[in-house]
Amino acid sequence: MEIDTKKCVGCGNCHAVCTMGVIYLDEDGKSVVNQDECVECFTCYRVLRNEGYKPWFVKVLRKGLSLLRLGYLAEVDVCPTGALTPPELKWPRNLRAQFSDPSTVHPGTGVPGRGTDEIKTNDVTGRLRKGDAGLVVEIGRPGIGAYFRDIEKIAMELAKLKPHFEKENPVTQLMVDPESGKMRDDILNEKVLSAIIEMKIRQERVHEFFHALEKIQKEVDTVISVGIASRCLPDGTLPHEEWVRKAGYALSPNGKTNIGLGRPLFKEE
Amino acid sequence: MTNTLHRQGTPESLKHDYVIFAHTAKGITREGSASKLREFMRICLKYHPENIGESKQGNILQDDIDIHRLISNLSDGAVASAVFTDLDTLQKVIEELIRANLGISINISGLLDEVQTCCRKAGLTRHSGEHSLGFWGARDRLPEREILELNTLCGHGMVSFNLIRKMIDHVKLRRLTPGKAAKILAKCCECGVFNPTRAERLLENLRKGNR
Repeated sequence: MEIDTKKCVGCGNCHAVCTMGVIYLDEDGKSVVNQDECVECFTCYRVLRNEGYKPWFVKVLRKGLSLLRLGYLAEVDVCPTGALTPPELKWPRNLRAQFSDPSTVHPGTGVPGRGTDEIKTNDVTGRLRKGDAGLVVEIGRPGIGAYFRDIEKIAMELAKLKPHFEKENPVTQLMVDPESGKMRDDILNEKVLSAIIEMKIRQERVHEFFHALEKIQKEVDTVISVGIASRCLPDGTLPHEEWVRKAGYALSPNGKTNIGLGRPLFKEE
Repeated sequence: MTNTLHRQGTPESLKHDYVIFAHTAKGITREGSASKLREFMRICLKYHPENIGESKQGNILQDDIDIHRLISNLSDGAVASAVFTDLDTLQKVIEELIRANLGISINISGLLDEVQTCCRKAGLTRHSGEHSLGFWGARDRLPEREILELNTLCGHGMVSFNLIRKMIDHVKLRRLTPGKAAKILAKCCECGVFNPTRAERLLENLRKGNR
């Protein structure tokens, strides 16, 4: 995101809305975006309503109010002068928007958001079958963000398990070698709000996944949200629960359920 | 809404938080899905959701969103979602979706046991399920519980920690009501999976100093 310094009146509303907390006031009292840390999520631009005031008007109003010992406080969800300016993004920076702005469509998958499938269409795709454990490793969320150099570190550690990385996943599509988890060199310094490694292994190997994650989590300076999924048994129970408990880890009481209304229903041979 | 499964909170607060969403598969159910997605949203709308939206167009709590226009503009493969706060209503929605026989995949985020009971009552055996295994890595960089609880109400993490802190301060100073502050937070969540009612309750508790 860019901020038009001719329009900005330094109200600071965009500072709070920024998902990465990387907008600050410069010495002239104008808001500036730290471009290295901005993930191009466009939240500031979308959420803050442009009030369309002329900058001189806001400045005069402020001065007048200050003479009366009163302050100018803009509503919290506005940009008084419409100073936020979305830039035209080119490769590789456009990756930031693809992974951070949920309204941007990933070119490789054709869907917006983080681009994962998980169990969402498992009733029709049969992506996760009997005995499979689906694993989602979201790097950067909540609220911290991640560089692809950290995402690569985690992908390379997990690749040692020889998992099946989901082909229709945007992170997999940026790997030059899914066997090793190596990502393209030209993207390693790009930062995103979060990116999700999506893979599956056999359920009896879930403890190996935990072992790998325990090791690599200490080597990255960001947070990781982790999820596990499986296809239900005929009685509706989730087989991965047993394997997670055997490995000594806890499961959340809440989660996601595919209720099986997709048609044609995938039939496993 | 990939990670609506990471919603944080006490079991009591999670009891009032269910997200239902429709998803399509490329080459199987995506092509020609627009009319089915519209019907999905109409069914959800009939039961007065707390929030409803779609990732490319936004949600009903954002400025200038006309839900009927949003529904008519849905295209193939859109990811539509709605939020409900009680199981009885959710069950009615599921039953109507079964009758509608849309053929697109329907998912629900919420307490897994409660959702399973709801499915059973509607005559369904759930197909697949997913759990959160929590947060790993540099957890020392994460803020306090209440902020995480509000932040994770958005599946894509679009509600910043700083905005949440600002809203809590404004509510405590009575510059904003909890309801108005919750609505501002909900505007950040593009897909419409943010639960404004749960957020309002949490902000009200924080205003009173309850933890």
